[in-house]
Amino acid sequence: MAQPVVSVKGLEVSFATEGGMLNAVRGLTFELAEQEVLGIVGESGSGKSVTALALIGLLPKTAVVKGSVEIDGEEIVGRAEKDMYKMRGSKIAMIFQDPMTSLNPVYTIGWQIIEAVRSHGKVSKDEAKVRAIELLRLSGIPRPEAALDSYPHEFSGGMRQRVVIAIAMANSPRVMLADEPTTALDVTVQAQVLLSLQSALEKTKAALVLVTHDLGVVAGMANRVIVMYAGRVVEFANVDELFYRPSMPYTHGLLGAIPSHAEDSDERLSQIPGAPPTMLNHAGGCPFAPRCPLAQDVCRSTEPALEPVATADGSVHLSACHFRDEVSSMPVASMFKGAEQILEGAEDSGH
Amino acid sequence: MATDSTDTTRSPVLSVRDLVVHFQKKSSLPFAKPTSVVHAVCGSSFDLFPGETLGLVGESGCGKTTTGRAMLQLAEPTSGSIKFDGQELVGLSRKEMGEIRQNLQIVFQDPFGSLDPKMTVGQSIAEPLAIHGRWTDEEGPGLVAEAMRHVGLDPKFASRFPNEFSGGQRQRIGIARALILNPKVLILDEPVSALDVSVQAGVINLLADLQEKFGIAYLMIAHDLSVVRHVSDRVAVMYLGRIVEIADKVDLYSAPQHPYTQALLSAAPLADPKAERQRKRIILEGDVPSPTNPPSGCRFRTRCPKAQDICANEIPDLIDRGQNHAVACHFPEAMKII
Ligand SMILES: Nc1ncnc2c1ncn2[C@@H]1O[C@H](COP(=O)(O)OP(=O)(O)OP(=O)(O)O)[C@@H](O)[C@H]1O
Ligand SMILES: Nc1ncnc2c1ncn2[C@@H]1O[C@H](COP(=O)(O)OP(=O)(O)OP(=O)(O)O)[C@@H](O)[C@H]1O
Ligand code: SF4
Ligand SMILES: [Mg+2]
Ligand SMILES: [Mg+2]
Repeated sequence: MAQPVVSVKGLEVSFATEGGMLNAVRGLTFELAEQEVLGIVGESGSGKSVTALALIGLLPKTAVVKGSVEIDGEEIVGRAEKDMYKMRGSKIAMIFQDPMTSLNPVYTIGWQIIEAVRSHGKVSKDEAKVRAIELLRLSGIPRPEAALDSYPHEFSGGMRQRVVIAIAMANSPRVMLADEPTTALDVTVQAQVLLSLQSALEKTKAALVLVTHDLGVVAGMANRVIVMYAGRVVEFANVDELFYRPSMPYTHGLLGAIPSHAEDSDERLSQIPGAPPTMLNHAGGCPFAPRCPLAQDVCRSTEPALEPVATADGSVHLSACHFRDEVSSMPVASMFKGAEQILEGAEDSGH
Repeated sequence: MATDSTDTTRSPVLSVRDLVVHFQKKSSLPFAKPTSVVHAVCGSSFDLFPGETLGLVGESGCGKTTTGRAMLQLAEPTSGSIKFDGQELVGLSRKEMGEIRQNLQIVFQDPFGSLDPKMTVGQSIAEPLAIHGRWTDEEGPGLVAEAMRHVGLDPKFASRFPNEFSGGQRQRIGIARALILNPKVLILDEPVSALDVSVQAGVINLLADLQEKFGIAYLMIAHDLSVVRHVSDRVAVMYLGRIVEIADKVDLYSAPQHPYTQALLSAAPLADPKAERQRKRIILEGDVPSPTNPPSGCRFRTRCPKAQDICANEIPDLIDRGQNHAVACHFPEAMKII
């Protein structure tokens, strides 16, 4: 791979809480090249947003961060906020679930986007305005000239998110980070916003880290996927490998739990028994063991490393499971069939 | 009025005709027009048959919740008719409605907001019995325990408080509460949208089991097309207060006829990368118009790729185009989307 735009090595993020150290992200490592889209999926609380915030240096001061995050060769971890501020926008841009996190309600859309264009380079006001209109058009905003004079509150949620995308691409960042960018939107609006995001990537050639809990969005947008569980990467693969040859039981469970709107099936959805662990004081062993139908003694005593499984096309496919090779050859979610009885017991005793 | 998807061979447990629900919206601004009218539901007709699931899908604000609430008279119908087992509900007194409410229960979306934090789980589940004067100290506790078992909760947790339970468990508590009166109809308003997928799967399976066991009819409100396909027998699609298409689920998903249904299905992502790469999406222009000032004629016309002059001038009726597949469009045409 050419010089990666994002290179994360052994990233650890923890928070001191009343109950002890909470390890929100443990040992995250990956690289991302230009124009690549990395999807990060996982259940609520698995560490997706904390990972995204670590990449852009926006974690609260209470976070203890270890390891390395390089964006375009520059280290982010431990960098002074003053320097980070410069990098944001020029090298990394962030798109949050709520577009109002990024927009200022008291300024016009035009003012905000022109400001973004001018903040990272010497551009005259007129040039910046022309560019602003171009960015809004690329982002799919109808009548962009008129949009310049509008305020955010005059726009719907989907339109606002497209303005945020226009601003994000203003300085041709190397990496865009999007944390659940369409979760709050209706599906026809989501389709519009994802299209804007795709044109922004084509235009800027940026890499994208896309955090979402929606496996459908990942299937349509991502080249590669990280599955997180309890703060750890439990599976990493290209998108086809992940969906058609999952190699970690948790991924099987996720895929088996979603119904399809493309076909009819009377099959029951797979249920993952129990609930995710709290991430306090990790006890050792595989974090998924208490919920895993395949768990053996070794799973409860030794935490499996994230290691490769064989792939037909030679691509990198990593799984954190002691039985990764067996699991990769099992039909999707087959191990969860009949696991429902465990569920009832596990769920009740989980609290 | 429109010939809708009425089926004369079975008799519906719930039968809705030309339902209209308007809300008066008071303006908070001085000197503004004092009130405007929100046209939340405009002339919906549908039947729900015993033991079946009718899915109600559509985007935010299209009137799904209002439709569901109108069934229980929690939203007051402006006009139209709602019959339960042949009995007209519109215009009933509170007391008369109370009797019928035992057969018509609702489960809400928010498993956190819909339970009283100060009541134990057992008290919450028992409350409907008390409200309807059916609680007895001899039978009550047994009924609560049984309802808990039906939804996969251990009865020994009856003395705990809602904050000790996860989202999926709270949703199960909400379902137990609705079940305890043995209703014939359950209105499910987005019962799984707030849950993570793995938890969602458990609740969906549970609902299927309960329907099989007790033959309850579900009106399942959801915006997730995959969930609706999985659980429903028939599906109705709403847009801006109107049902635009209603059909057996296989027909609706494999051969949708309304341009909005087609766009909706085409926009919904599939968890299948190869299928996603081959798809061509219909991307709609613009946003959903305001229900205080809906477009004339067909409400979808401002975003519809097929719209002609007639669409602005005439409201398309919901017309049965065969096999109980009804469509409200001047230019219906079956199309394979997925
Ligand atoms: N500022 C903080 N202080 C303490 N704990 C935190 C903080 N931010 C996040 N956490 C904890 O870190 C863990 C990971 O949280 P994160 O927000 O990354 O989850 P997520 O995967 O994005 O979930 P969701 O899908 O709900 O957005 C959670 O247990 C969360 O409670
Ligand atoms: N009590 C009320 N007073 C005024 N307007 C209301 C009231 N309840 C609902 N509305 C309006 O009626 C319309 C339909 O709302 P409804 O809640 O039925 O939509 P929905 O399809 O359930 O949407 P969602 O998917 O967001 O839950 C919306 O425009 C809403 O703002
Ligand atoms: S009636 Fe006209 S505007 Fe409405 S959906 Fe059909 S073609 Fe489109
Ligand atoms: Mg998050
Ligand atoms: Mg609703």
